[in-house]
Amino acid sequence: MDQITDSESQIIDIILVAIGLLLLMSVVIVLFFYFSRKRIAKTQLEKANLVIEHQKALLQSTIITQEEERKRIAQDMHDAISSKLNIVSLNANFLLDETLTIPEANKMGDSILKVTTTVLESSRRIAHALLPPTLDKFGLEAAMEELCEEVGDARQFDIDYRVDFQSENITADEELHFFRIAQELFNNSIKYSEAKHIKLHLTEAENKLVLFYTDDGKGFNISEAKKAKGLGMSGIENRAVLLDATVHIKSEKGEGMEVRIEKTVKS
Amino acid sequence: MKEFYRLIGDIVIYLAPIISILYFIGFIKFNRAYKVFTFYLFFISLVQIGAYYVGRGYWCEPNLYYSHYYFIAQFILLSVFYNELLELKWIKYVLGAGLIFIAYQFIDDPSIYYRYNSIGMFFTQMIIVIYSIIYFYKSLTVSRGFIIVNIGIFMYLLSSALIFVSGNIVLSLDFSLETKRILINVNRFLSITFQTLIFIEWWRNYRPKKIV
Repeated sequence: MDQITDSESQIIDIILVAIGLLLLMSVVIVLFFYFSRKRIAKTQLEKANLVIEHQKALLQSTIITQEEERKRIAQDMHDAISSKLNIVSLNANFLLDETLTIPEANKMGDSILKVTTTVLESSRRIAHALLPPTLDKFGLEAAMEELCEEVGDARQFDIDYRVDFQSENITADEELHFFRIAQELFNNSIKYSEAKHIKLHLTEAENKLVLFYTDDGKGFNISEAKKAKGLGMSGIENRAVLLDATVHIKSEKGEGMEVRIEKTVKS
Repeated sequence: MKEFYRLIGDIVIYLAPIISILYFIGFIKFNRAYKVFTFYLFFISLVQIGAYYVGRGYWCEPNLYYSHYYFIAQFILLSVFYNELLELKWIKYVLGAGLIFIAYQFIDDPSIYYRYNSIGMFFTQMIIVIYSIIYFYKSLTVSRGFIIVNIGIFMYLLSSALIFVSGNIVLSLDFSLETKRILINVNRFLSITFQTLIFIEWWRNYRPKKIV
């Protein structure tokens, strides 16, 4: 049996302690890695849940919007078409009466003509509101101008509009999104803002198509507006996402609002 | 107690080829990193068995030159292994520079062949340890394969580096066999931990599974 001398045992002690320390260090690092990974996985899960929540909210707002739109169309059709056609049907029934005098028949015919004319006009208006034929036939530029003119004619707004861009740079779908956004912005101004002046510029500069919109109405709180599901703001943002565009909305109570939507386009 | 350590030593020697064979089962099926690692296991078990039979398991017998094959092969194969896992271009350059340095050491002093190359061993092991730390970092967010093996490589190479580095002191100061045995046993303990982790990796991720 060999004897271990003092100096030997000291050296060996040092080596063993050092190895022990290295081992301890490596265990600590491995544990650190393990717990960091756990925590990171947890945060990632939370993030993924947030995304899912957001998508759910988006879906919900889309459905609400869709339902509201259906309700509006049903209402429009009922008020403007069905009820009027009822009158036409009633009058036509009277016409079948053999005891009817000619002046009475003429009166009935006249009334039928009047009502059918308004029904025609109404159905044209409803169809136009759903999808303006101008957009399809003449493109965004013409449709935007028409929209601005219509809004200007109907309400007491002073509208300053400028539409100037190369229409071949965006697709038909994208044109529709831009049009709907403008429509929604006008709707908001008409419904809530009590604005006097509205400005809408759709221009192209440095490979960017910019929709710039301001009104001088009573403004709103942005975070509150975003919470109101199914209403304009989320719709605008959703369309901007589809357009792959950035949205900047600026508004304060009593300060009007300013919206800037920018989309990068190929030149 | 001596018998117990002897048994552990034997397990370390014979477990190495067994694990190599286990890894060889899936050799064709799995990726290149897996193939390189299987090569590593094979080569290391060959060196271990060679050294064991030449030196009959004792440290001070003239089987020391096996240590060069051991650490150079380890450096090359684990560098290639991490090159596959990490996909970093500079690993190849580090490998080249390391090999040039070791070649220079042998040209400068050929007698190093009969000693421990403490410096070479230390540097090559530390380079691999650095790779394993980078791999830990990269595995934080994305789950990647070979994480248990990575833990084993990290712990074993970091701790055992000191045993190999102290090899020359222990030999040149002519320490008693008892002292050498302590170091041998510590190394055996570390090796068996490493091998266990390699086995766990195989069992959890690479063992042949019945297709249900």
